[in-house]
Amino acid sequence: MNSKQVNLLQGTLDLLILKSLGAAELHGLGISRRIEQMTQGTFLVKPGSLFPALHRMEEAGWLSSFWGESENRRRAKYYRLTKAGKGQLVVETQEWKKISLAMNSALEAT
Amino acid sequence: MRWWQIRKRDADLERELRSDLELEEEEQRDNGLPPDEARRAASRAFGNVTLIREKTRETWGWAPFERLWQDLRYGMRQLRRSPGFAVIALCTLSLSIGAATSVFSVVNAVLLKPFAFRDADRLLVVRETEDKAGSGREIVPDNYRHFLYLKENAKTLEDAAIFRHSAGSISPNGDHPRVVGTVITSPNLFRLLGVRPMLGRNFVDADARKGAAHIVVLSYEGWREFFSGDSNVIGKTLRINGEPNTVIGVLPPGMHFPQVALSPKIHFQELGQNVMLYEPFVPAERDLKNDTGNFNYSVIARLNPGVTVPQAHAELGALLSSYTVSSHLPVRFGIAIAPLAQDVASGVRGGLWLLFAAVGAVLLIACVNLANLQFARAVSAEHETAVRAALGASRSRQIMARLTESLILAVIGGMAGIALAFLGVRMLLALVPANIPRLEEVRISVPVLLFAVALSMLVAIAFGILPALRSLRVPPHAALQTNSSRTANVRDGQRMRNIMVAAQLTCTVVLLIVTALSLRSFSHLMHQNRGFDASHVTVAGVDLFAPQYGDFSSKNPQPVKQAFADRALAALRQLPGVESSALTSATPLKGETWVDYLHRPDRPLPDGQEPLVNVRFIDPDYLPTMRIPVVAGRNISAGDRGDPYVALISERTAREAFPGEDPIGRKIGSLAPDSDHLFTVVGVVADTRINGLKDTAAMAYAPYWVFTHWTLSFLVRSSQPSDVLIPEMRRVLWQVDPQVAIPVLKSMDEQVSESAATDRFQAIVLSGFGISALLLALLGVYGVLAYSVSLRQQEFGIRIALGSGKGSMVGLVLRQAAYPVLFGTAAGLAISFVVLRWVRSLLYQTPVMDPLAISGSVLLLLAVSATAAMIPAYRAASVDPMRALRSE
Repeated sequence: MNSKQVNLLQGTLDLLILKSLGAAELHGLGISRRIEQMTQGTFLVKPGSLFPALHRMEEAGWLSSFWGESENRRRAKYYRLTKAGKGQLVVETQEWKKISLAMNSALEAT
Repeated sequence: MRWWQIRKRDADLERELRSDLELEEEEQRDNGLPPDEARRAASRAFGNVTLIREKTRETWGWAPFERLWQDLRYGMRQLRRSPGFAVIALCTLSLSIGAATSVFSVVNAVLLKPFAFRDADRLLVVRETEDKAGSGREIVPDNYRHFLYLKENAKTLEDAAIFRHSAGSISPNGDHPRVVGTVITSPNLFRLLGVRPMLGRNFVDADARKGAAHIVVLSYEGWREFFSGDSNVIGKTLRINGEPNTVIGVLPPGMHFPQVALSPKIHFQELGQNVMLYEPFVPAERDLKNDTGNFNYSVIARLNPGVTVPQAHAELGALLSSYTVSSHLPVRFGIAIAPLAQDVASGVRGGLWLLFAAVGAVLLIACVNLANLQFARAVSAEHETAVRAALGASRSRQIMARLTESLILAVIGGMAGIALAFLGVRMLLALVPANIPRLEEVRISVPVLLFAVALSMLVAIAFGILPALRSLRVPPHAALQTNSSRTANVRDGQRMRNIMVAAQLTCTVVLLIVTALSLRSFSHLMHQNRGFDASHVTVAGVDLFAPQYGDFSSKNPQPVKQAFADRALAALRQLPGVESSALTSATPLKGETWVDYLHRPDRPLPDGQEPLVNVRFIDPDYLPTMRIPVVAGRNISAGDRGDPYVALISERTAREAFPGEDPIGRKIGSLAPDSDHLFTVVGVVADTRINGLKDTAAMAYAPYWVFTHWTLSFLVRSSQPSDVLIPEMRRVLWQVDPQVAIPVLKSMDEQVSESAATDRFQAIVLSGFGISALLLALLGVYGVLAYSVSLRQQEFGIRIALGSGKGSMVGLVLRQAAYPVLFGTAAGLAISFVVLRWVRSLLYQTPVMDPLAISGSVLLLLAVSATAAMIPAYRAASVDPMRALRSE
């Protein structure tokens, strides 16, 4: 696996996490489930990539976390978007749209 | 994230991962799996928890610190696994860092730290020089008129103050008086230094006018001592020499006025005493008139900002020579100046740096020893190193792991060293001669602590880096294979260790030779012919500082002083076991004092060209009591009392004042103050080292009937030991007059030994360092040989099995030891020849190429090395071939 791919994937993962938290506060497992659901099962985010990403994003100031209670009365750590996170979501969404547009036109060119 | 949150954060992550795992598990159960199954499925889905945790932690940005923490734990574990090494290393480190820090604390206070005065680097000591016909240029103290002229005209100086150290007797509660150090100064001294009184006021110019009221400024110590720190002290009266003085001010606690020597040769008698009080200097008639005598003062000046010392030197020199010309003075005067801090430390600088260099050498040897031990450990840990390399440890990681271990040792050793330094400083201060300036400022201060910390780090790197670098050279695959390559590595390591042992011995040889020279010099100083016999003599210095005895400026009541001397001599003679008692006007071995020109009316020389002599006023028993022989003519006798103008001169004075002539019966100029009466030389006495062991003195003696000095020194020769005699002498002297001070009362042997205190200090401390170096070298040679013998067990077994005798085995090991030892010794000798030139000035009449010192040091070192080598050699010879061959 070369580093370019890693970066690309990482960027994608960040965007997916930001998007998943756009509507609600979720815990780790909740985020994976939400992403799975949003992408109709295309992306399965494993804890091995999810947790490092969550902590990195928290470090970057996009997410904040707190301990809360899950739907079946268990304590779980919840994440929510910060103001900076919301901004980042807008930026990354635009970025991604540009890339996907460019990719599409590249692939459609004859 | 902050590093102190890392534990909390860690626990948090742990909980988060667990709760997520549980959620997953629950979900699986909700899907209808049985509990066991659900847990397994959840774990499978979750993946490697440890890996997730580590990867997550990496994102926190504290990975380097965690690695350091790991290295630290690893290092600690390594050290715990070899406690012997750890103990030896810590002992060596803490002792050598402690010693170096102690010596540095003295060096810092005496030589490096600036004085606590305003812009202390602009302060200078100014003295005069005098061109003499025979002896060239000589540095002399200052003349008051010259001072006034210079102060008036110099553009390079902001200000200048003239002063002299003196002594006064104080009897705080009506007790017997004691003598304390005082300074008599022009009123501007404190303003020049930038010191403000803590209480009361500073001196003003009016205080120094003739007829001004007697006033005094107390030092902080004097205030505590005489007035127990009374805050209403201003305006109170302090009796100095029995005369009332009004206290006008108290100086702040940090103000330690240094002892400024009158000239390189003439020190103030009570040098080493703290200054307790300051009195204004009121110039006397003779100060205001005399241009060619009365060189009795010291001058401190402050440079104008931006002016350099050479500029000031040039200007003052030019001013003084033009003054010499315009005033038609018969002598050429010049200027000698030195920065204050440098001048105050001038007598001890070389010696202290030498001690510092010596302790540095010991530290270096200790470092090499530790490096050697670390090196051996690195070699034996090669297998492990290779495994780590094979598993992908980066080079920097490998080096750090090794260095961290040294770092741990250095940190613990450094802290123990600092603790030891507190003890070491106390020991040094107990040993240190009192005439070293600024000792009251010696303490473990912040700069000293910084030095110790920096030193520890330096040491860690010094002894850790070589072994650490070595771990790089191990190829991962090589060490994993066994035996064959290991032997090659051993040989390679052996060369490195031999070089280190040689370096160690080089340092040791140099240090031993310097120590031996210092011991030789000290022994010569103590055992040379002094020209007098100190054994069984007890000396009592008495100061007649009381109103009835008068002083120079006012009435001069000779009869009162003489009566005291007569009664004291008679009373001392009555003590049991006393063979003789005698009197002289200056305590022996207290340096040159009362130095005067010897004038010959039959062959007058211009002022300043005549030979200088130390004048002493003695009684007829002085020479017999001190066992000083009369070489020609006769001693003074009781019969001279009627016509007391007779004098004795020493052989050296005879040579200098009467070259090729017979001095007996000749007239010489007056030896007594304020008198023009000529003296007749009646005898020549043998030269003595009475003012200092390092030089014979040019002396002139006159009977005390002509002039009885205020400081008297009574000498008693007795069969009784001094400690029995001392309380008796004190009792008898205070019986004669309870109002005299007795600042000196001890055996003459003690006085002799105290006068050599600096040399003894140097010899003792150097010996301590020399012995340490020798022991470390012994350990070094032993360690390397023992290690290599232990690695070569198998080889020795084969040799013995093949028929090698014990003798040839011992020879084999000794030969191995011989290379680094001989090479190191030779290199040490070569370096010594360079270093010793620098030590020459610190030795007394001892050639630096002293064959005994050099050969003795080398032989001692060779003998010690041979001893160190014998044990491993013997062990090699007694290897059991069967066991050695079977062991691998």
